Amino acid sequence: MLDTAFDALKTFDWGSDLTALAPIEDAATASHGKPEARQDLENRLIAALKGTLTRDAQDYICRKLANVGTAAAVPALAALLVNKGNSHMSRFALEQIPAPEAAGALRDALPKVSGDLKVGVISSIGARRDTAAIPALSGLLNDADASVARAATLALGAIGSVESAAALQTALRAAGDRRLTIIDAVLKCAESLLASNQIANASSIYKAFNDESQPRIVRLAATRGLLACASQPAVRSI
Amino acid sequence: MSVIKKPNRRDFMKTTGAAFGVPYVITSAALGNSERPAASDRIVMGGIGIGNMGRGDQGAFLNRKDVQYVALSDVREEVRDKSKANIDRHYNNGDCKAYNDFRELLARTDIDAVHVATPDHWHAIMVIEACRNGKDVYCQKPETLTLREGPLMIAAARRYGRVVSGGSQRVLEDYRKYVAPAWAGEFGKIKSINVNVGPLPQLCNLPGETKSEAIDWDLWLGPAPWAPYNPKRCSGSFSINGASWRSFSDYSGGGMTDWGAHHFGGATFICDVRDQQPYEVNYFDNNDEKYLAYRYQNGLTIYHNKPRTNQLMIEGTPGEKLAPKPVPGYKGEGGIYGDFIECVKTREKPFRDIESAVNTASLAHLGNIAYQLKRSLKWDSVKQEFVGDAEANRMTDRARREPWQL
Repeated sequence: MLDTAFDALKTFDWGSDLTALAPIEDAATASHGKPEARQDLENRLIAALKGTLTRDAQDYICRKLANVGTAAAVPALAALLVNKGNSHMSRFALEQIPAPEAAGALRDALPKVSGDLKVGVISSIGARRDTAAIPALSGLLNDADASVARAATLALGAIGSVESAAALQTALRAAGDRRLTIIDAVLKCAESLLASNQIANASSIYKAFNDESQPRIVRLAATRGLLACASQPAVRSI
Repeated sequence: MSVIKKPNRRDFMKTTGAAFGVPYVITSAALGNSERPAASDRIVMGGIGIGNMGRGDQGAFLNRKDVQYVALSDVREEVRDKSKANIDRHYNNGDCKAYNDFRELLARTDIDAVHVATPDHWHAIMVIEACRNGKDVYCQKPETLTLREGPLMIAAARRYGRVVSGGSQRVLEDYRKYVAPAWAGEFGKIKSINVNVGPLPQLCNLPGETKSEAIDWDLWLGPAPWAPYNPKRCSGSFSINGASWRSFSDYSGGGMTDWGAHHFGGATFICDVRDQQPYEVNYFDNNDEKYLAYRYQNGLTIYHNKPRTNQLMIEGTPGEKLAPKPVPGYKGEGGIYGDFIECVKTREKPFRDIESAVNTASLAHLGNIAYQLKRSLKWDSVKQEFVGDAEANRMTDRARREPWQL
């Protein structure tokens, strides 16, 4: 059955009958907790991805690797990151594969892509909250491509660490019309810090924005943040 | 206790008018009359996604005297043109602006609030961007496509103090007959309730077809995986069986989220757990009868599709009567839309506050994942992750197509 399904993948395209691939779906579910069966399935998916397939079939494999892929699948997926037609679905898998090799592949792709593809890679790095990417993302905060700079800003906000907040605050000094986007990302960092009980760090960020020179919506957010910090037990006991 | 005076809309306009040096010409229409508030007291609104549900939402807001509807956005040219004509006819002017790209609408500083009724794969991006732009939002249900989106939407709303309401008028209006006795304590402690809803979403592999309409296909797809145009893929009809985007997993959680927003929303309201998420989802597959049991910390079980069990069948505690508690309802006048507008004015939380709406949507997503994996799952609602199940955690979100990002 599984052999037949992988045969069907070779000619699979938009409009093909999805039920032909059902054995692959079943194998993905049934192999949970069965390492050998899972590895066999992954190996078959990787081998298929390296072959000549339609974009639809490649997309399908990436969807499955998002569920079952390991470090073994990363090289085949990483090769697709630079292709306009495949980059997104490659990230669809890489964003979900827990192995550090997947994060590394996304970081390694940064200098190889530009424009929308770079924005996509950056967004996946942000979604993974990859702290090892903070230096690279920081270097993109003033990128000549405004969409890349914005993506790096949002990704650093998603990472939400003291280091990513510091990089954003440095960029804020020369932010121009990107100011509110950067502030939004810094505020997201403060929320992450607060959630991880780093109250002093969060409070410091909020205090910096609780200033008459800031737009009203920012002051509102800063005030709310400070109130949230003040309601934390560690602060109350001071 | 100190009291912080909330600035009203007139105060705000005075402040911003002074700040930007805006010339303010007072017209008779702007002054208002006994029938209609002055312009400075009207909520200036726009709408994004004006297809089936969006058209209905737009009509509800447009017909309110305390709303000035000034802009809309839709990726379909015909929808944009018809909708603009409708609004201009309503106000007897040509002022409404129609945009293909929602970002242009959200960038307008004169708009206070927006309603969003696009397919679900757009909701999180639009709601968060609207909050960043200082706008209040009425977002149609289901509010989320993935589990990760919900907390991010809530955080954006709270960060900027925005009023964000989910959709589903049915939660309150259809289920009053159950809510009233439940909250009056007549069922005693509710042990379980059953929700029958479906089907699950399916992968869409429809073939490409020649475009039969003027649609910005790339923008319709947005963060979803690229796929060729097919009218069934993007139809806004209410079908959940393969003839509309509601059927397909790239754009929707299927019937589980689409009707689940109503039914799960009603069940959680009846049982007063709208502010909670379950800690466990048990998957049962007995002789091909598949169903779920969501377990809550307070002992409640919400069943999904329990065999031979009616919709919203409640298992209470016979002979026990609990102390009654007041039932929350809409604020203002005009149903769920009036509730949203009233809260925009007062800054209160709406009945379908985004947190409650997200909790409902998450219930459906958790169920979809359990059915897909065919196993029971433990859920940490604080960390928003599955406990001890890395594979399930891979399904809490999905990569968005470039250049879209949360």
